[in-house]
Amino acid sequence: MSDKEHIWIPKLKQQLSDKKIDRREFVRYASLLGMSSGAAYMWAGKITGQPLAPPAMAQDMPKGGVLKIAQRIPKVDNPHTFSWVYDSNVVRQVCGYLTRTGVDNVTRPHLCEKWEASEDLKTWTLHIKKDAKWHKGEDFTAEHAAWNIKHCLDPKVGSSVVGLMKGYMLKDVDTGTKDDKGNAVMTTELWDANAIEIKDPKTLVLNLAQAQVAVPEHLFHYPFLMLDPAENGAFIVGSNGTESFELVELEVSRKAVFKRRPDAPGYLDELHFIDLGDNPTAVAGALASKQVDGIYQGNIEQFDLYKGMAHVDIHQVVTAQTGVARMQMTQKPYDDPKVRKAIRLATDPAKCLQIAHKGVGEAAEHHHVCTVHPDYKKIEPLGYKPEEAKKLLAEAGHPDGIDIEIFCKPDPSWEQAAVEAMAEQWKAGGIRAKINVLPSAKFWEVWTEVPFGFTEWTHRPLGFMVLALAYRTGVPWNESRYSNKQFDELLNKAEGTLDVDKRREILGELETIMLEDGPITQPLWRSVYAAYDKRVQGFEIHPTLYIFGEQLAVKPA
Amino acid sequence: MLLLAGRRLASMLLIMIVISILLFLAFEGDKLALAGRVLGQYTTLEGKLHWIEENGYNRPLVVRYISWLYGFFTGDWKISAQYNRPVLEFLAPRLANTAILGLCVFIITAVISLILGVLAGINEGGLRDRVISVISVITTSFPEFASGTFLVAIFVFWLDWLPGSSSFTNGFSVKELVLPVAVLVIFNFGYYTRMTRASMAEVMTSQYVRTAILKGLPPRSVVVKHALRNALIAPFTVMILQLNYLLSGIVVTEVFFAYDGFAKAMYDAALFGDTYVVSACAMVAVFVAVLSQFISDVGYTYLNPRIRFA
Repeated sequence: MSDKEHIWIPKLKQQLSDKKIDRREFVRYASLLGMSSGAAYMWAGKITGQPLAPPAMAQDMPKGGVLKIAQRIPKVDNPHTFSWVYDSNVVRQVCGYLTRTGVDNVTRPHLCEKWEASEDLKTWTLHIKKDAKWHKGEDFTAEHAAWNIKHCLDPKVGSSVVGLMKGYMLKDVDTGTKDDKGNAVMTTELWDANAIEIKDPKTLVLNLAQAQVAVPEHLFHYPFLMLDPAENGAFIVGSNGTESFELVELEVSRKAVFKRRPDAPGYLDELHFIDLGDNPTAVAGALASKQVDGIYQGNIEQFDLYKGMAHVDIHQVVTAQTGVARMQMTQKPYDDPKVRKAIRLATDPAKCLQIAHKGVGEAAEHHHVCTVHPDYKKIEPLGYKPEEAKKLLAEAGHPDGIDIEIFCKPDPSWEQAAVEAMAEQWKAGGIRAKINVLPSAKFWEVWTEVPFGFTEWTHRPLGFMVLALAYRTGVPWNESRYSNKQFDELLNKAEGTLDVDKRREILGELETIMLEDGPITQPLWRSVYAAYDKRVQGFEIHPTLYIFGEQLAVKPA
Repeated sequence: MLLLAGRRLASMLLIMIVISILLFLAFEGDKLALAGRVLGQYTTLEGKLHWIEENGYNRPLVVRYISWLYGFFTGDWKISAQYNRPVLEFLAPRLANTAILGLCVFIITAVISLILGVLAGINEGGLRDRVISVISVITTSFPEFASGTFLVAIFVFWLDWLPGSSSFTNGFSVKELVLPVAVLVIFNFGYYTRMTRASMAEVMTSQYVRTAILKGLPPRSVVVKHALRNALIAPFTVMILQLNYLLSGIVVTEVFFAYDGFAKAMYDAALFGDTYVVSACAMVAVFVAVLSQFISDVGYTYLNPRIRFA
């Protein structure tokens, strides 16, 4: 144990022994506050009297070989602007993050060796690993980390990191110019010149505008890759990095080939990502005929197909992955909160889950906070009340119901199925929806623009993180244009509250706002799965489907 | 003959130019939208304007069109937004893949449908004709995705004889070619069999064939020497025109098997809004369409003396 224990740690220990938090949460928060996760696991065992095994250590993993994983290969040249998980999977093999959230949802240091948070959670000191080195031999320094953080926060870059960190790292400034409607064009900059402070070559200090507990978890947000500043934010074949692999070949929508660097941690000689396109049958076929050894993610329709393959293991995990039907509150008729609530009231999530996802997952509650989140607060669900929805619509000036149009994409197929199920349910509430299915690539071009659309959201470890990304006023991914002052204030408060019990209450308030006023209808939470050949060792499915090549090994066929 | 070929070539060029103007207007007419597509969804208006100025899109439309066309003929097909590499370099191997697939399908379909069509046609109304006709109608009515699923279920998941995807990631493989070829042959051969059969049946009732039979020639010699050549005219034309389908009409099959061909590239590019790839694909498709027209015209002349000497 370090003698500079964070002031909150004894309190966490207390909460753990009072059973207010479970061991896993204890480990997460203790390591968030700078306790090494080994020590946190030890304390968890000591306090509860039950040993909690740390993540499996590498046993006798087979060395060498080539592993092939079926995964889409999009363009990866601007890692800080990624908005998919699988493009980050490509760069992740080469470039690292300052922290890493494991499959157990516990965040540990990665390129830093530890971090310390001040009592008020406003000053975070990151100690960069002494032996962290670039492939080209240079040391990885605090200066490099600072450059990457600044690059991600630069509004010109357009990284979604802005949405996560805006509340505590940035401030709004007027550019002095006006747009066509005469409104001031706003931009953002660091809230203080000293917000990112380089103490010495291996020490970086983040000074926050307001308290934030999830800084380490934000540092593992998937676009937050540490790139070589000399390459100016670009990533190409042969780019410098800090991780085990080098990218030696890349053909977008075809394949990516990585070679493990000599003496770098890991087991494989080579890792290949193979792009098999949008058709899930081709992916299943490729795994069945052993053209690939694993798949990034299985489609729910193919679940039984993979189960039937004798040489394949299915890896499954419950997650906060979901899709939401979100309405832009700047557009008619969704500018009226009554209309938004009516659509929620006319949705039956439990049925949607059965119809669209074979019951694999959980019914959602329209507020985008999942039961797997530690700070989830159970509130009275809205329920399926189409009659009430009709009444609300009438109050909003639509006595004969409304005609609307919802945009969605056909891939993965559960999304379209969920939209169809909802549209059918809405009819009972007087909501007649036309479904407009756009091909995936086209959809991602317009997803922030359509008035009513169905968008998938990936899992994030804490309950308020997606709320901050998607519903805070003015952030890039706020596709619903949702803006609610009270909501933003509560969000800031939640982000600065370490005590899970207290934060849970704040999330309860946020959830209530989402139910009454919020911009979304949310049918389901889904479990995700991947399928891997039994020859593949060391694979553990991550709730966000991250792939860590250096943990994988493959037995000779 | 030469005159005809020359006339054909001239009209081919004209058609291509007209289509290229239409394509140019559709893809690059709105330069702001083009900048948005090339630069991606997060670009600011300033970024787009900067890009437009930087890349010469502020020049008059005519000048831009001419430089675009010039670039196209000199092999400068611009950079793909989606793949971030020269369009020509990216499209060439995919064209080759589709050519391999198309050629296999073309040859196999031609052989099967000519044999079956002739066998059915020389015996119109007989049992053999009925069986062949029924099979042809049934197979043609299976869409590619249905027969694809069916074949994959049997040969990949059940028997485990063939690979389930055909992306050639480890280089060319005949095994990976089998299923896509089979799907396309099954879908196509029925139609050409019916064409050949109809044409053959018609020829078999003509007077010169009757004369040949009355002369006492053996049936084999009547069919091969007298009937066949005339019966081939119609199916030949249809098959050559099929080349165009084999280039861009096989999207379903290519996507189904993750076959990295021209049609799939065009499909992906269209979905992504990858302007430069789509316009290049369209130009290639037009070129092949016009070229197959040309081949079919010339070949037709060869088969049918009445046109040659007219």
